[in-house]
Parts: sequence; structure tokens; C-alpha cells
Amino acid sequence: MRLYAVGISHRTAPVDLRECVDFARGGVDAALEALASRGLGRELVVLSTCNRAEIYAVTDAAAPADAFGRFMSEYHGVALEAIAPHLFAHAGADAARHLFRVAAGLDSLVVGEPQILGQVKEAFAAASDRKYTGALTNRLFHAAFGVGKRVRTETGLGEGAVSVSYAAISLARKIFGDLRGLNVLVLGAGEMAKLTAVHLRAQHVRQLTIASRTLASAEALVARVGGRAAPWSTLANLLTEADIVVTATGAGEPVLTRARVEEAMRPRRSRPLFVIDIGVPRDVEPSAGNLDQVFLYNIDDLQAIVSENLARRSAELQRAEAIVQEELTRFAAWMQSRGIIPTVVALRQRFEAIRQSELARLEPKLAGLPPEARARVNEITHLLVEKLLLTPTEQLKTVSDEAMAVAYADALNRLFALGGDGPAEPAAAARGRGEKVPS
Amino acid sequence: MAVVAWTPFVLYAAAASAYFVHFGRRDRAAGRLATALLGSGVLAHTFLIGMQTVAAGHAPLVGTTAALSAFVWLLGLVYLYVELTTDERAMGLFVSVLLTALAVLPALHPGVEPRPPLLRSPLFTVHVAAILFAYASFALACVLGITYVLLFKEIKRKHLGYFYARLPSLQTLDAMNGRAVTIGWLFLTLGVVIGGIWATQIDSSPDPRAQAMSVGDPKIMIALVCWGMYTFALFARRAIGWSGRRAAWLSALAFVIVLLNFLPVGYFLTRSHNF
Repeated sequence: MRLYAVGISHRTAPVDLRECVDFARGGVDAALEALASRGLGRELVVLSTCNRAEIYAVTDAAAPADAFGRFMSEYHGVALEAIAPHLFAHAGADAARHLFRVAAGLDSLVVGEPQILGQVKEAFAAASDRKYTGALTNRLFHAAFGVGKRVRTETGLGEGAVSVSYAAISLARKIFGDLRGLNVLVLGAGEMAKLTAVHLRAQHVRQLTIASRTLASAEALVARVGGRAAPWSTLANLLTEADIVVTATGAGEPVLTRARVEEAMRPRRSRPLFVIDIGVPRDVEPSAGNLDQVFLYNIDDLQAIVSENLARRSAELQRAEAIVQEELTRFAAWMQSRGIIPTVVALRQRFEAIRQSELARLEPKLAGLPPEARARVNEITHLLVEKLLLTPTEQLKTVSDEAMAVAYADALNRLFALGGDGPAEPAAAARGRGEKVPS
Repeated sequence: MAVVAWTPFVLYAAAASAYFVHFGRRDRAAGRLATALLGSGVLAHTFLIGMQTVAAGHAPLVGTTAALSAFVWLLGLVYLYVELTTDERAMGLFVSVLLTALAVLPALHPGVEPRPPLLRSPLFTVHVAAILFAYASFALACVLGITYVLLFKEIKRKHLGYFYARLPSLQTLDAMNGRAVTIGWLFLTLGVVIGGIWATQIDSSPDPRAQAMSVGDPKIMIALVCWGMYTFALFARRAIGWSGRRAAWLSALAFVIVLLNFLPVGYFLTRSHNF
């Protein structure tokens, strides 16, 4: 029985294959059921996001990588040869490390993105609700949540916008706080204008207005992204009403001159205006940014913020990896002790059982002794057993290699018949020792 | 007594260090610790003021040092209220540093001044309490104004860094600043009006200080200047749209004058308020 993590992710497989093996399509529950019905794991969790399809399992299956590869191929109806080269498989502590890195956002396409931790939690909850989790996966996933949380709070890995549109939105938030009551004006009706409009619309702004030199193209864009179209001639009014202006016109010369912005600012009093100029060449005269309460950012400024944030994130990588390592060491220690400890306990129980049965067998001979002597006999036999077990117990607890621990446990189980039904008859051994019982 | 007198100062200083760690490292645990320390500081301060009241038989508001102590206590209280209702700790560092600095003098002189006959009027207590509460509000407005300008400059210069990551939005800072100025102005107005009424009542007192109660006295004059500045700030925000950066500068500048009036003028220059 061992912990495995098998699957494909954006690191190992191209997007078209990832789309084909998406567990979320048929529901994670169905995938868990299918896995369980094939006896592929005692404990199972399926993690499915747009960037990964992963199975975490505690299984006895021989060659689990192949077994899970075959499962994915059959379940999704994709040829095994198409999947196999892109499959990763980690066992034991490596599987735990993989999950910890995933939960921390270290394995994400955009390193440090925060959604993945929630997705890992959902995956675990889905499996847990249907009772596919057990002691090992419980501990593993809760440790992973802890890693995700620590990385988020103790490092700056998830901080700072790493895309231009998100950088613009986070700036808008820093200026206005809540974006919900805001009027957004988009100038231009091209692809860039559309992208930005969609992003801002997702922030539930109050009013999205799109203006273009030709009203028809503004209306066409409104039909696709919502909001309202306004004629170019009302630009002065639109500017006065707006809180955020996005310009992406593709015009050859600035459409927003300093004078125009200044004029629009006058009736606004001190209400700030955030101008995002994503047009190339620029749509807004740079000196407009010097006006009080006007915040002007062009595409290069936003790009610079993004690169700075990316650089800062990679500086935090090391700290995040250190947290993963720290938590992994703790988890691996628990996993190992879990492997060997039942064997140690069984061994001690076995020895104690032998001692008790020998004492019981010798009871008629000991009956004549005074109580103090009987107590001594009990004490000496107890000490003897303890002494005999001391070194083996200590040695077993220091076994750090998981496979080695399993081998030891196997050997002990076999030598002392620990896993068998009922104690093997230790008569011969007991007789040999019985004669040495001091009186 | 000395130990009890220093306890609020020590706790304010400890809170300031915890707020420093919270601000610098954005450590939530340090933030919670800071709030707890500040809360304990205010509590210890409440206890101290209560003890002084019981010992003297009247509220310890006589003399600039005692008033300073009451001001620190009120500012701590007001700030805690704001922090707990907005769940925003970024201002804590600035406020707790101010508290610590101002708490030194009262800790050095913990004794309660005897209350001269002149001040045995309930109007005096209301006058001082209202004005101190106004000052606490203005102190908060000043901190909000300074942080607004710091954040404003970062965004304007397109160099998003230290304060960008730590402060709430400009809009929030500005709105809180406006609220603090409004509340402070209301209490200052109340305090000044009551002070005026009280001054007419003690007109016939032989006490030279009662005779000095006139607009010509530096303390009273500068207090009226402050009232004028905050009235202008309120008017400008509402009527001519002076919010944002201008309002921030104005509230910071006005509080500097408040502080000057409170301390150097209160200790050395005034002839009417030197109790």
C-alpha cells in the first residue's frame, strides 16, 4: 500500500490532450466511482482543473503508473499511446511533494496564482464526501492546505498583478476602492478595447460606455460585451462622467489631449480620473498625467508593473520552496513512522504475550514462592523483554527510507509471524528459556 | 504610582513595535498582537485616569500635562474604534507612534494638579473633553492625510511599492479623512462655544487667568484659527470639491497647528490657560 500521484498537467501535456482527459467534464464523482470500482485505490482523490488532471491514490496496485494510465485512456476514450508519454507518476514522499507544490501555486502556469488552493480543497471535499479518503489522504491534504496557507501568508509569491489587465484593475482598486459604483468609458472598438471591456465588465462596474469614431463599430462591440454605445461627439460629457477611461483607438495622434482632459476635470472637482492608455501609438498626451487627480498609465507602464511583480514573485520562490520542504519533512516523518510503528507495536505485543504465557505455564512451580520472590520473577522477565527489544525498536524508528521500512516490516512480520492469525506456538523457545527462570 | 503611570506608555510603545512588524512584514499575527497591546494600553490608561479621578476627587483635566494624557487616551480609544469597525490596521503604526511620543510627558508627571476654584464648573469639564475629543479626531485625520499623500505619490509616479502594498485605497483614506474632520469640527465647535459661555460666567473672578480669557490670548486665538481652518476644510470639501490630495494636505497642516497650540503655546505662552 503506497501513496501515488499520477496524472498530467500543463507541464507535461499540451492543452488539446488536457482537454481530452478533463475529469470535470463527466464529474469528479463519476471518476472516483470508476476508479474505486476497478479497485485502483483504497483512498482516492481526483484533482481536475483546466491545467491538470491528477489522481492521488493509496493503492496496492502493481505498476500504478501503468494502471492509472490505462484507466485514464479507457475512461476518456483516448489511446494509451497518446497519454502515456505525458503522464507523470510520483510515489510516496515525492507524491506528497508534488501535491504540496501544487497547493502552494508553485506548479501553476502563473506561479503563485491563488485559485489552485481552493481547487485542491474542493477536490478533497468531493472525495471526502463520498468517503474515498482515509487516514493517509486526510493527513496529506490537510498538510497541503497548510502549505498553501503558509506560502500565501509568509511569502509574497501570490502578490502583485502579473497580467496587464489585472494590473490595471488592481490599480483601479487602489484608487477607487470598490469598482462597483464606477463609470467606465472605453474609447475604441478594436480587439484590445474588447478585451479590456470584458475584464472591466467582470468587475461589475456600474456603467460601461463604449465610444468610437464610428458609432456602428461601438454598437457592434456593445452587442458582444454589453454596456452602451455613445457617439464620439459627446466625448466631453462622457469624460466628465467617467471614473476610468480606457483608450485603444489605434488613431495616429492623441485623441485625449491635455487640454481636453483638463477641461473634463474642471466640473469633476477633485473626483479622480484613471486613464488607461493601451493604444499603440499612444492615445493620450503624456502631459495629461501631470494634472492633479489624473492617474495616467499607458501600456508600457502597466507592462513595467507586471515585470516588476514577476521578478518579485521569482524572488519569493525560494522561500516558498523552503516551506514546502519543511512541511514535507514533517509529513514524510509521519508517513514513515506510520509504516513501521504498527510493526514495532505488534512485535512488543508478541514478546509480552510470550512472557505472560510462560509465567502462566510456570504458575504451579512459582505458587510456592513468597510474594516478594514472585514479584522479582515478574520484574526480571519484564526487564529481560524490554532489554531484548530496546535496540531493535530504536533501530527501526531510525529507518528513514520508506521502501526499506516496508522491507523491515515485512521481514519482522514473517520472522515473528506478526501478521498471522493468532500467536504461533512459541513453546520450543519458551521451554528453552523457562528453565532459566530464577527462583 | 510610578509603575502604574508608566504602564500605558510601555504598552503603547510595545503596540507601536508590533504595528511596525505588522506594517513591515504584513504579518497578521503581529497585527492582532498590536491591537491587543494597544487595547491593553488604553485599558491601563483608563485605569490610571480612574485612579487619578478617585484620588483627586475630580477628572484629571487641570493643566496641559493632564490634558495631554486625556488626549492620548481619547486618541487611542477613537483609533481602536475605527480599527475594529473598519478592520483596517494600516494606520495603527502612525497612530501608535504618535501615542507613544505624546505619552512620555504624562508618564513623567503623573501627579494630579489641584483644581483651582475657577475650574469647579461642569462647563469646564465639558469644554476640555469636547476639545480633546476633537483633537483626537484631527490627529486621526492628519494620519489619514499623510498616508493619502504617500500613496497618491506612489501611484502618480507609477512606482508602486511599499505603501501601495500596505495601505487601503485612496478613496477609503479620503472618505475616512473627511469623516474624521467632520466629527472633529463638531466637537471643536461645541468645545469653543461652551468655553465662550464659561468665560462669560467667570468674568467677575479675581483670578488673573480669568481676566486673560480674551481673543487676544495666544491659546484662544490659535484655537480659533484652527477652527477657521477646519471650517474651511469642511466647506472646501463640500462646496468646491477640495477632496483628495488638497484635503489631505490641509488636514495634516491644520493638525500641526493644533499640536503647536496644545503643547508649546499651552506650556509657555498662554496667560489664560496656564493651569
